Formats: sequence, structure tokens, C-alpha cells
Amino acid sequence: MSAEEQSGPARESRRSGPLVAVTRWMENLGETGFAYLLLTPVFVLLGAIALYPLLRTLELSLYTNIIGTGEPDFVGLDHYVSLFTGESDRWLPGTSRFLWGDVAVTGEFPFVHVEGLLRSALAVTIIFAVVSVFFETLIGFGQALVLDQEFRGRSWVRVAIIIPWAIPIVIQGMIFYLMFHPSTGFATEYLANYGIVAETNTLNDPFSSLLIVTVADIWKTSAFMALLILAGLQSIDRSLYDVAKVAGASRWQQFRLITFPLILPTLGIAILFRTIDAMRIYGLIDSVSSCTVVPSLSCMVVATFGSQRGLASAIAFVTAIIIGIAVMGVIYQQYKEGL
Amino acid sequence: MSGETQTQTQTQTGSQSETDHDQGPLASWTQGVISNPDRRSLLYRALFYAITIFFLVTTLFPFYWLLVLALTPNSLILGGEWDLPFLRPQGFNPEAFVEVFQQIPFHLYVFNSFVLATMTTIIVIVISSLAGYVFGRLEFPGRGPLMLGILMVSYFPPAAFLIPLFEAFTGNPIVAPFIGVELFEPPRLVNTPGSMVLPFSALFLPLSIFILTTFYAQIPDGLEDAARVEGTTRLGALFRVIMPLSAPGVATAAVLTFIAVYNEYFFSSIMALGNEPQQWSPLVGGLLQYQSLYSTEFNLMAAASIVGVLPVVILVVVAQERIVSGLTAGALKE
Repeated sequence: MSAEEQSGPARESRRSGPLVAVTRWMENLGETGFAYLLLTPVFVLLGAIALYPLLRTLELSLYTNIIGTGEPDFVGLDHYVSLFTGESDRWLPGTSRFLWGDVAVTGEFPFVHVEGLLRSALAVTIIFAVVSVFFETLIGFGQALVLDQEFRGRSWVRVAIIIPWAIPIVIQGMIFYLMFHPSTGFATEYLANYGIVAETNTLNDPFSSLLIVTVADIWKTSAFMALLILAGLQSIDRSLYDVAKVAGASRWQQFRLITFPLILPTLGIAILFRTIDAMRIYGLIDSVSSCTVVPSLSCMVVATFGSQRGLASAIAFVTAIIIGIAVMGVIYQQYKEGL
Repeated sequence: MSGETQTQTQTQTGSQSETDHDQGPLASWTQGVISNPDRRSLLYRALFYAITIFFLVTTLFPFYWLLVLALTPNSLILGGEWDLPFLRPQGFNPEAFVEVFQQIPFHLYVFNSFVLATMTTIIVIVISSLAGYVFGRLEFPGRGPLMLGILMVSYFPPAAFLIPLFEAFTGNPIVAPFIGVELFEPPRLVNTPGSMVLPFSALFLPLSIFILTTFYAQIPDGLEDAARVEGTTRLGALFRVIMPLSAPGVATAAVLTFIAVYNEYFFSSIMALGNEPQQWSPLVGGLLQYQSLYSTEFNLMAAASIVGVLPVVILVVVAQERIVSGLTAGALKE
């Protein structure tokens, strides 16, 4: 602490000037006033960068003819309606559409045929989120169980497992782009032999590209899952395992009766959290393949906002609503546990 | 039954499966695993190492493969002569790592990324320190709802913010939503650091707030009181006592924010309109430039990826404790 501040109230009262006045005013604020004063920067930043854009997106989605000359025309909920009737699909890039087509049930495998499922932004986003989060949870659980053990070189294994999580999305995309590019990709030949990916033009094939993007996401984000689950594992009371050992429980029984039930709340939060994150997918698709091949909701916003701003806003707001529903799940979980 | 198992255990521990010809080797080995706890734990160890090695190979192989690609001369890559399944560099061409910076000014992109990440980190740390102090140490009405509100913001997709932000950053007037009142005309921020630092700060602020709230709440009240008795202001106590004592927490929040900005794709690729380094386009722009303009220079793409990945790899190795504790403490709270 500097000398002048130790000099006591005698000098304090003699000092004046705007800075001192502000300091004194702040010191005399009540706890609530002080709290809200310190939160002002947060309100300003989040208000300007999150709240304002969210409301403005909602407003823009009610208008058409926003870009260009002339006044924008108010169209109400037309954009939302046309999204769900398929009328606005013609504005989406390539052959993408918002909803999937007709569902037909036939005798052929896999029995339920949904026309244009992989062309639908909504379906692709949901499929991607569900599949990637499912495998990330499985693999993350495995990684967490490994990291929960004591062994030599544990911290190095941990670094190795975290590294994919920490690398830039564009480089993650580049790695998988190069792996499956016709000129460099060694992986295409292998997988095409088993019919998993298309033999030629892999990165322009909707199914192959979605698969590659999903695998790339699993590769990168399993580590995040692993860390969250590991935290849950390490908060389990070790003496429970001692009791189990004395009672003669096998390792599988220990896992099934102690580890799994105790990890379940953590797992629930982690899964919701990852699902929300996965539904934002854009960068990976853009760098591995392209938005015309693998349509996702964020992709559609970026692809249309240059020409059809009202429609893009409607898609953006629908995305926000879908994610908002998942957020409600998280908030409810947090509320149950008491924030 | 138990006596039989007993004798089997004895014979097997005595004769070590190879010499045991009564049963096949597999059967006797299985018997051994079932009945002998030592062997069982040996099997568990073997399985454990196998799984660990599997995880190590799957996470690290893509990086090794980037290195292979970077070191192989591009003419050989285009020739397509790869020896599978054990890929190794064909020839040795470290010049790729020099060429990366000559073909396009890749160092400028990396520099931009560093500047953007540093600026965002400073802004986020200052603002989230104030907020973390408020949420961690003060009791006031509205604390719970406010934290939930901040939490919700962090979950919304960037795409939901993009369009109005893009309008504002291209210099269009800010209009109060639904009222239609023109508020003010913002400066044209696209192609400047501001157009990226502002969204980044808002996006990554909540995580830091939650991390710092946890850490600041742990500082004993007595230390703050002592500082206040010594004559510091409340803010002085925050910056001179609480923040230094929570240095690990601050470092955690800073490292995570830095990595998050360095890795960001969405705004980085959109707000720099032309992927040019003069437009403050970060790493993303540089790599996309290689992908689109030099689409056959595969060794350079790989080399550029390695150059871009090195800073975060170093950061992860140095700060892994911080990252792990921050993600688990902060993200689970979140």
C-alpha cells in the first residue's frame, strides 16, 4: 500500500478533486448499489453484444426486403411459416432445405425412409448433435476412467488427451479435410472399401461429409467430456470403494453400483452442455466440407444473411429457440441443485 | 467346488500355463484369470495399458500425420505414392516450414490472432474480476437471476447475434428494436480488431465470471477486512488483495479465454471481410487462404496447421493444471 493511503483521515479530508469525490461516493454506496455499479460493464457488454442483437434479430425476422433501396416491408411471421412449409427452401444454398421431406415406410432396410434427411438443416443439426454427443460421452467416459487411475506418466497422457480439445477449429477442419481430400487422403481408400464413405468426391458427398464432420468433432471434444466426467469421478468418496471391496464386490459391481449412480448428475449436465454446443456447429463444416454439402442451422444463417436478411434472421431465431429449449433443461438442473 | 478351484489355482501358479497340457492354453489362462487375483489384476493392467495406448494413438495420430504431410515434398504428395498403413514422410523437406511464411504472410495472421486474443483476455479479466467479486463476495437482491441470465447468454448460438452485429459493424445506425428510434451511428468496425474483440469478449465473459466467482468466494473475509482497515477502498482491496491471492484462478480464466479466442471460427471468419492480414484476419483467414487460393499446396497447408497449433500445444503443456481445474470448476458451475 502506498504511503499516501496510510496517512489517515486527517489528510483524507484535505484531499479534493474529482477522483477523490468519485472514490468517496463509491465507498459510501450500499452493498446493493456497489454490486450493480461493478456489474455495469457486464450489463453494457452483454446488452450490446447479446441482448440487443437477439431482440433485433427477432425484429428483422418480421421484415423482408431489408437490404437494398426502399423501406423494408413488414411481413409478420411469413418467414417462419415459409420455413416450415418449405417455400423458402429455394433461398437456401444448393439443394439444402429447412425441414426434411416425406416420411415413407417400406420393407427395405432401414424400413423408415425419410426423403432428403441429409439435405435438411434442422435434421442434420440434430443428427450431428445427438450422434457426436453420444460417442463423446462414451469415449469421454473411457478417457476419464483412464485418467482417474494413478500411473506413471499420467500427466502426459492427460496432456495428450486434452490437446485435440485445445486446437483451433480451423486446424481441426484442415486435418480432416486433408485426410479425405482426393489428392492427399489416405483414409478414403480404406473406408470406401468397406462402403463407409463415398469412393470419389468424398467431401462433396452429404453422408460421407456428415460422417467425417461428426468423427472430427468426436475426436476434438471427447476430451472436454472426459475432463468434466473426471471431475465428477474424483469427487466420489474413495472410502465407498473400500467398503465395496470388503463386501466382496467385483470391479464391475463397483462401477455399476457406486461410480455410475454418483456420476449421473454430472453426466447429465455435461451431456446437455455439449448438446447445446454441438448444435452451434458451423466452423468445422465450413473448413472440412461446405455448407451446401452439410447444411446446419448456423450454416444457413451465414449463407443467407447476405441476400435474404429477414429469412436469415428467422433461421437464426429458430436456432436460438431450439437451443433455448435445451438451455431450459440446464437451468432446471442447476435450479434443482441450487446455484 | 471350492476345493477344486483351490487345487487348480495351485497347479497353475506352480506351472505357469505353458506347461499345463491338460487344458488348452486359452482355457487354463481363463481359469487362472478367474481364480487367481494376481492374474486378474495383471489382466486389468494389460487391458488398462491397451486402452490408454489406444486413446493416445487416436488423439495424437492426426498430428503425426500432419507432420508427415508437411515434410513430404508436394510433388510426391500429388503423385499419391503413400505406404500404408504406417505412414512415414516420403523424403525430407523441412523448407515447407519456411515457404509457409513466403507464400502468404502467415506470420501476420498468427500475430493478429495473438493481438486479438490478448486484447480480449485483458478486457474479459478486468470485467469478470469485477463481476466475480460481486457474485462471489457480495450479497444483494437479484444475484441468482442475474447469474442465470449471464449463464443463458453464454449458451445462445453466435448465429443469433450475427446479423445485427454485422449491420452495426458495417456502420449502419443502431435502431432500438421494435421502437424504431435511431439511437446512434456506430463507427465502421469491420476489418478492425473491434469487430472481433467485442463479440469474443461477450461470448467468453460468462465462463470467466463463473471461474472467478468460485475463486474469489474462497478468499477469507478477514483478509479483505484487514485491507479495508489499512485504508484501502473496496476496489483497492479487490485489485491488491483478492486478485493477487486468487492468482491461480485469474491465470485459469486468462488461459481459457486466450485459447477460446485463438480457436474461434465463427466471427473470425466473417468479420474480416476478405481474409487479408491487413483486415485483421486471424489464423482462420490464413488457413482458409491456403485452402482456397493455394489449393494444391498440401504440404504448406499441413505446415501452416503445425505452425498454428504450436502456440496452443505449448500453452496446454505449460498450463495443463490450470486448464483442467478451470474447466472442471468453472464449466461444472456454469
